[in-house]
Amino acid sequence: MGLISLAAAKTLASSAAFLFITVLLMAAAKRTATCIALFSAQCAIITAQILATAYLHHSGEGFLVAILVFAVKVVIIPYALLRVVKGLKTAGEVETSTTPVQSVYITAALIPLAFVVVRPYVRALAVDGQLLAAAVALVLSGAFLMVSRKKALMQVIGLVVLENGIFVAAITTTSGMPLVIEIGIFFDLLIGVLLMGVFVFRIRDTFDHVDVSKLRQLRG
Amino acid sequence: MTYALDVLQLLLLLAAAPLVRGVVSCLKARLQNRHGASVWRPYSELRKLFSKEDLVPPTASPVFRLAPVVLFAATVAAAAFVPALHGSALLGATGDFILLAYLLALGRFFLILGATDGGSPFGGMGASREALVSTLAEAPLLLGLTAVAIAAHTATIAGMVRWTLAQQFFHLSAVHALAFAALALVAIAETGRVPVDNPATHLELTMIHEAMVLEYSGPSLAWIEWAGAIKLSAMMALLIALFMPWGMPVSFSVAGLVVAPVVFALKMAAVAAGLALLESGMAKLRMYLVPDFLGMACALSILAVVFTAMMR
Amino acid sequence: MTLWIPLLVPLLGAFAVLACRHARVAVRVALGVGAIEVAALANAVWAVHSAGVLQSGHYLRADGLTAFFLINIGLIFSLVLAYSVGYLRHIPHGRFSSARWFFALIFLLLFTMLGVYLSANLGMMWIAVETTTLVSALLVGFYNTEGAVEAGWKYLILCTVGIAFALFGTITLYLAAIRSGLPADTALDWTSLMNAAPQMSGARELIKLAFVFVAVGYGTKIGFVPMHSWLPDAHAEAPSPISAMLSAVLLNCALYALLRFDAITSRAIGSGFSHTLLLALGTLSVVVAAFLMVVQRDLKRLLAYSSIEHMGIVAIGIGLGGPLGLYGALLHTFNHSLAKALLFFTAGHIRSKFGTLRMDRIRGMARSLPWTSVALVIGSLAVVGMPPFGLFVSEFVILTAAFTQAHYLLAIVLLAAISVVFGAMLQHFQGMLCGEPQSMGARGKSLFADVAVMTTCAACLLLLGVRIPAVFTGFLHGAMAVLQ
Repeated sequence: MGLISLAAAKTLASSAAFLFITVLLMAAAKRTATCIALFSAQCAIITAQILATAYLHHSGEGFLVAILVFAVKVVIIPYALLRVVKGLKTAGEVETSTTPVQSVYITAALIPLAFVVVRPYVRALAVDGQLLAAAVALVLSGAFLMVSRKKALMQVIGLVVLENGIFVAAITTTSGMPLVIEIGIFFDLLIGVLLMGVFVFRIRDTFDHVDVSKLRQLRG
Repeated sequence: MTYALDVLQLLLLLAAAPLVRGVVSCLKARLQNRHGASVWRPYSELRKLFSKEDLVPPTASPVFRLAPVVLFAATVAAAAFVPALHGSALLGATGDFILLAYLLALGRFFLILGATDGGSPFGGMGASREALVSTLAEAPLLLGLTAVAIAAHTATIAGMVRWTLAQQFFHLSAVHALAFAALALVAIAETGRVPVDNPATHLELTMIHEAMVLEYSGPSLAWIEWAGAIKLSAMMALLIALFMPWGMPVSFSVAGLVVAPVVFALKMAAVAAGLALLESGMAKLRMYLVPDFLGMACALSILAVVFTAMMR
Repeated sequence: MTLWIPLLVPLLGAFAVLACRHARVAVRVALGVGAIEVAALANAVWAVHSAGVLQSGHYLRADGLTAFFLINIGLIFSLVLAYSVGYLRHIPHGRFSSARWFFALIFLLLFTMLGVYLSANLGMMWIAVETTTLVSALLVGFYNTEGAVEAGWKYLILCTVGIAFALFGTITLYLAAIRSGLPADTALDWTSLMNAAPQMSGARELIKLAFVFVAVGYGTKIGFVPMHSWLPDAHAEAPSPISAMLSAVLLNCALYALLRFDAITSRAIGSGFSHTLLLALGTLSVVVAAFLMVVQRDLKRLLAYSSIEHMGIVAIGIGLGGPLGLYGALLHTFNHSLAKALLFFTAGHIRSKFGTLRMDRIRGMARSLPWTSVALVIGSLAVVGMPPFGLFVSEFVILTAAFTQAHYLLAIVLLAAISVVFGAMLQHFQGMLCGEPQSMGARGKSLFADVAVMTTCAACLLLLGVRIPAVFTGFLHGAMAVLQ
């Protein structure tokens, strides 16, 4: 058992590094399917983190939350998004308003920014600074993805990455909210993503493209 | 004792280099559902080249004959810094990682000169492309190595290996992950593998390294090919030593010395398999996208260096 | 039990409506469910009024503030339902654009909004607010035209991002509560938080951070200015009864959530920080909306910006605080919802008679549609704050609060903005009402239901402007007591 608790502690220590890597890879990705796979990997890392925390704190609720996160975020939401990508039958490329290199540079600049932002709270809250910075970096990079990507589905992916960041911040600082609330939040997220998928199809049917930068009819 | 081991290490790198290349080609062939040539093919190729005549273009200067020799010498010297079997190498000094980078650059510089000197248009084209790639690859290489050096609080490659050996496996830090990613991308560019350059291509307009050696033949070409193989295995061994050195003996026991080459061979095989997988799975990038590729490596390495400050 | 019925009736009603085959049957079922719902809400309000606070289990709770807003939602919902029956004749039929889906979605929206009002737990409140966004996005995109789909998408994305920030704020408050010693399973419960708030003053920075995120997050749904860009599009492209529902009730719903947070924050660290932030957001909203109203060309967009302006005034009222400010703010939410509902109903009429909502293409309304013009004039006078209508009273109270607290600059800015709004509306509506009437396809007479609905709105506005009934004042004071 000592080995497992050692593994759990080390998983917690290194999950922040993996989260940063997924953030950077997502900025460099050129296809929507790649982004969805990276999002799934990100949520898998978060599941591992929750499992490690649950094991170290001996909380049964934590295991339930981990299973929920795995089911909803690693399996169902990426599957639904991939179905939308396939159903759209357009080219699966991510159209960006910045080149991949610029995106990687901007995202790489956001990561130290996240560290700077988090510094006063790390000392006050006595939590793992890296994980909190990873959470803020996820939020910032999710916002950046939403702003710099022109496809509607990529905006959805940026949104779920942002929510991922908020979730990581929540589990880093607190030991988890009451279970009912967590379940409610996950179902909300799931329904939200499904609804956005429906809307993407509607956009495609109404406009014949899914480029949100061309949705500029309503202005002023 | 250490000296003998270091010499043995260097000789192993030199002798096994064509084998590594052969293994990678064989694995690639199997992945692509072909039978492929045997893993010993590069050796027979080198033997064939050494026995042939060395043809020199009439317009070439002595630089043309000199370039393969300098390239080989510089690459061997660089390989002498790489710890493969145990935690130190034949040569080592403070700041030797910088020297290693620039020894490789020296070799490449002379190859560029030789290619331009050969007088063929493809040589010039390959030379200019290689110059671009190496310019862009220099920064991530140095920054990545610097990041690891700062994290290890040391300035020698041997010191970095020793520090990583002392860490436990799960203690993966963001610095190491980012530096590994950056150095892996740079290694692909430096050794001229897919997606930067396809070593097996026949289309001259897509070549970078191959275009430079079009004019060479005989022993000169043999030296160049061997130097390329040594560079590949040296970079692989360097990556293994810096980021996955567990299995290297810390002290000199007989058991450790027996285990070390086996572990080394296994790790090299694993990296070779990864390289074969990558080469089979990705298409070569178009030339104007190669700066983007190296730009990403640069961003990762800058981030690695920044992280060393934030991890305190 | 009293609290469960108002929640379950619309939920079951939505499924019942969906199960109907014919549109006419669906309409009748919807009206029936609506009547039951209004009765249930009235019952709940009366029960709260007699008992003070009703709590049902862990997650449902109703106090004075809830009762006040329940009156608001009940009244507006009944008006919207009555108006929708006549309006539905104009809906183009598509797969999701049928009458059944319309009523089903309205009921679901009501269910989620009641979930916000009746929740005892900040986490549940967040979940309910997020669900209102999801349901109302479907309603905004109801017509499936290009504009509607674009507006619906913008609304969905912007409000989900905003509410994600509100979630972060909620979590930060939860963290602050835990660090101040509250047990984890009650640290999101509103009553426990209010009781333990004075002890939480140690986590000052955290509570400030939480309030900033909540103000930005729920402020996105309310329509405060830096985060308002979804509002004109959504309220303009939705069907008119839905626009009325959104402007009149949904904005109040998000405001309710913000009020709950403000109460906790003020009790924990004093009201200086939160009220300054609200004053800033409110002033910005009022000024920007006032100036943007001048250049509008679409009637419903104009009304949407007017909603932003009035929400800004409410925020200023809350930010000023004290009995006067709070009284004015709460009264203003009620008055504004009535006036905005009236105006949107009028806009729906104009749309169905003229076929367009572009104000520069509508001329001579006073002669061609006399009764609709009367409604428009009453609505516009009410909305710019003219006596004898209710908004005059609430704005006057808020301005009095500003002067008593020596916020002279703020009061002057507010007055100037209101004047700009008056000028803008006068200019736009004068163009619409005067002039030679254009020929328009006569599309049938107005239904009795529509006339009744608009008359009710006007009458309520007049009543609240002339003399507020004592019962109503009782509810208002009950609401204020909760927040102080």
